[in-house]
Amino acid sequence: MTNIESKIVEIRKLTYAYPDGTMALDGIDLDIFEGENVGLVGPNGAGKSTLLLHLNGILRTDSAVSIFGLTPEGSNLPLIRSMVGIVFQDPDDQLFMPTSFDDVAFGPLSMGLGADEVRARVEKALLDVSMSDASDRIAHHMSVGEKRRVSIASVLSMNPRLLILDEPSANLDPDGRRSLIELLKGMNVTKIIAGHDLELVNELCQRVIRIDAGKIVSDTLINA
Amino acid sequence: MEHHFLDQYSDRDSLIHRLDPRVKAITFFSLVLFVILTPAASFSAFGFYGALLIILIAFSKVPPIFVVRRSLVIIPFVVIVGLFMPFIKGGRSLGNYSLGAVDFSVTYEGVMLFWNIFIKAMLSCISLTVLTSTTRFVDLLKGFETMHLPKLLIMILSFMYRYIYVFIGELMSMRIAKESRSAGGGKRFHLKAIANMVGVFFIRAYERGERVYLAMCSRGFDGTVRTLNRLKLNARDIYFSFSVIALLITIRCFAK
Ligand SMILES: Nc1ncnc2c1ncn2[C@@H]1O[C@H](COP(=O)(O)OP(=O)(O)O)[C@@H](O)[C@H]1O
Ligand SMILES: [Mg+2]
Repeated sequence: MTNIESKIVEIRKLTYAYPDGTMALDGIDLDIFEGENVGLVGPNGAGKSTLLLHLNGILRTDSAVSIFGLTPEGSNLPLIRSMVGIVFQDPDDQLFMPTSFDDVAFGPLSMGLGADEVRARVEKALLDVSMSDASDRIAHHMSVGEKRRVSIASVLSMNPRLLILDEPSANLDPDGRRSLIELLKGMNVTKIIAGHDLELVNELCQRVIRIDAGKIVSDTLINA
Repeated sequence: MEHHFLDQYSDRDSLIHRLDPRVKAITFFSLVLFVILTPAASFSAFGFYGALLIILIAFSKVPPIFVVRRSLVIIPFVVIVGLFMPFIKGGRSLGNYSLGAVDFSVTYEGVMLFWNIFIKAMLSCISLTVLTSTTRFVDLLKGFETMHLPKLLIMILSFMYRYIYVFIGELMSMRIAKESRSAGGGKRFHLKAIANMVGVFFIRAYERGERVYLAMCSRGFDGTVRTLNRLKLNARDIYFSFSVIALLITIRCFAK
């Protein structure tokens, strides 16, 4: 699994400070390979979300990051963003369109796909998260668990090769959390799961990276 | 959470609910237009418009009481604009009254002007209430979008609709948090706390905007919000709009 060909994320000495001076990342070195399920754990404010935002070029520094062999900048961005799907922590940020259909169609339409292809992808993505009947539903009429599923569908419709989930179990009740774990287990795509739900990470990931104060403090294989 | 502040009853099912939102919008706006363009003295025409609305309400299965109550919001405006008309408009006098030192005279033209404003405002308001309570707001926006209303306007309205409940929810939880911590305290203290809350609320709204923008960019947003048109007209829609508009023309031409 660990040959050069299948390396999809390469980060070298990534240091990032927010404009207000907060040092969020401090010398991160990280490689991620195709097919891995990586857990990214650490306390609040450790820099997990900041690191994830570097993986699709939302945040940038000089050439410390390479995704699928591409530098996330300029004309590479549309391609990178179609290959890297980020599901944000708060579904109310992720779902910004009036109906589920529009939300799930947003990515594919931005990629410039044709109407029939978009329709097919939306249908498939909603089916994959067992929300087929939700295409006309409005986000504020859905439960947190349902919103989370539609959020996931909203990036699945872009057929990402790397799926990134930021605190996927936040605000879920035990049932919702359980069915989310089952859903993610069934997905055959490279995943990075950030959060502090260790149990969920243990169940879904083979590799756990622990970060604290912007530094990687451990990188271990589990369930091997 | 279930919220229906803007479009209560719009998620029910009825003949009217199932019509295409564009057809509904055009039909009800035509109704408003006909009402406005009918001379005030055509009393029977207004009666027929009213009857038509009653039939539409009956088909829509929306409680008539709800429609009436919603439409009453227009009354204060009508009163402000129209109430003094009978007294200040010159013309044929219908009667003179005196209240202490002040003399009033009510004129026929003035009364007609008030009636004109009143009946048109009421009927228009009822039409639009029937439209919004039989059409989900999102479908209405979709309809307007395919009818080529300005995209920016549609986008702003759709964000407003999407986030108004999120904001209301945030405000509620802030208020609960404040109230459960502030036992007693003077008026001054409360005002300060509320001012603080408003400030925090604006910062949160701003941050929300930032995060939503990031989420949009992550899915390839490049400045245009794209949607697919999934609306389809069918025969029923055409029949509906043609028959209502034919009725409107008949009323306008023949009722005096
Ligand atoms: N937009 C921002 N502006 C300034 N500082 C930020 C911003 N977002 C996060 N931070 C700070 O950066 C650090 C890392 O935050 P974050 O990546 O969100 O951590 P985590 O996701 O692990 O909880 C924290 O100290 C946080 O306060
Ligand atoms: Mg975070």
